[in-house]
Amino acid sequence: MSDLHVVLAVARKDLLHELRSRAATVATLFFSAVTLVMMAFALGREQHVLTLAAPGVLWVALTFAGVIAAAQNFQADLEEGAFEQLLLYPVPRAAIFLGKLLANWTYLTALGLLLTPVAIVLYSVQAGAGAWYVIPAALVLGTFGLATIATFYAGLTANLQAREALLPVLMFPIIVPVLLGAVRATEAVLGRSELDLAGGWLQMLAGFDLVYFVVCTALFHFVVDE
Amino acid sequence: MSPRGASKATDMTDTPAIQLNGLTRRMGNQQVLRGVDLEVAPARLVVLRGGNGAGKTTLLKVLATRLRPTSGSARLFGFDVLKEQAEVRARMGMLSVMGGSYPVLSAHENLSMAADMTGKDRQQVGALLERVGLAEAAHKYVRTFSSGMKKRLGLARLMLVDPPLWLLDEPYAALDDAGKQLVDEVVSQARARGRTLLMASHESDRDALTPDAVLQLHDGRLRRAPEEAP
Repeated sequence: MSDLHVVLAVARKDLLHELRSRAATVATLFFSAVTLVMMAFALGREQHVLTLAAPGVLWVALTFAGVIAAAQNFQADLEEGAFEQLLLYPVPRAAIFLGKLLANWTYLTALGLLLTPVAIVLYSVQAGAGAWYVIPAALVLGTFGLATIATFYAGLTANLQAREALLPVLMFPIIVPVLLGAVRATEAVLGRSELDLAGGWLQMLAGFDLVYFVVCTALFHFVVDE
Repeated sequence: MSPRGASKATDMTDTPAIQLNGLTRRMGNQQVLRGVDLEVAPARLVVLRGGNGAGKTTLLKVLATRLRPTSGSARLFGFDVLKEQAEVRARMGMLSVMGGSYPVLSAHENLSMAADMTGKDRQQVGALLERVGLAEAAHKYVRTFSSGMKKRLGLARLMLVDPPLWLLDEPYAALDDAGKQLVDEVVSQARARGRTLLMASHESDRDALTPDAVLQLHDGRLRRAPEEAP
């Protein structure tokens, strides 16, 4: 049994679980949609304000969705002692982490692909030149960073009583570089066409993703083992 | 007395399946295990008794690498539970009280997942579910199962993995008479195949089983139970 098989088995199980229970889907879709709509009302009718705010609102909605999805992912595992059973198998903790990360990343990317056109229409933003590839790149890289940190901290807080409060408190300060890179890269191609600027932010995003990925994967066994 | 006599003289040259030396474990302010010494030779069945909160589950979890000893040492087949966790996990499996199954997956999917995690053949899954009486419920979600059915599924998982050391935490709990008989049969067959079994159980008179030792965990210490089997 290779580690890759373990990663895929854990990811498949998590996605299948979500597909059937829809526990995270209902909460994140509703929350993200409400966030986009409420912020649109709150910001008023001035187009330049909406254009400026759209990328930030989109990524804040995705960040909160990432917190909910990752927490729900671990919560489902804790029922009936299934996560304890998973940890008893002779497989590397890193493979378990990567499986859960893959499931959360897939989920968040799908959610991002769904929310982005909604945000563009709702905020009446013109997609600039290069938006067709910069936005998907920002989504893939941004959700990867979000999923990495959310999965790690959801594992850390899974067994704590105050996990709902602690997860965002611990996670949000760490996630700032990812959020900044994703928002700025998206902003550079919405309402304008600053491709060089977008490229720079995407590179920074990829760099932080790599650092977080390596650190979280290496440290995950400290999170789930005593 | 020290419960080290759980091993037999003929196996003294073998590496013990379980070897505990002065094992202690503190949970918060409570000292749950106080210097537990134990040596179990391979292919033995040892029953562990004790009242609620005596530390039976804690001891099993230490052996399963899920809790760290506060002090002392624990080795399974010569591997240290702290320093050689991967080797330890490759040699043991545990039937926990909670069952350890995913509620929104079917029984078949749960066992297939276990097969994927341990490199076992998925082809065995159907036969194992039939063996534990879950053939008709194979494709139903586990959340629809009774406690007894979940226990049977946990037993099937352990049979699938079939590790050298079986750790059984209250295997008879929630089971009807047929289920208890099934556990007896499965345990006897595993023992006949040379597996070592450490069973924490309140069931005091399972006639079908003749354990090599019955130990009592009391006040964090192990001693032979008065009703020890010959």
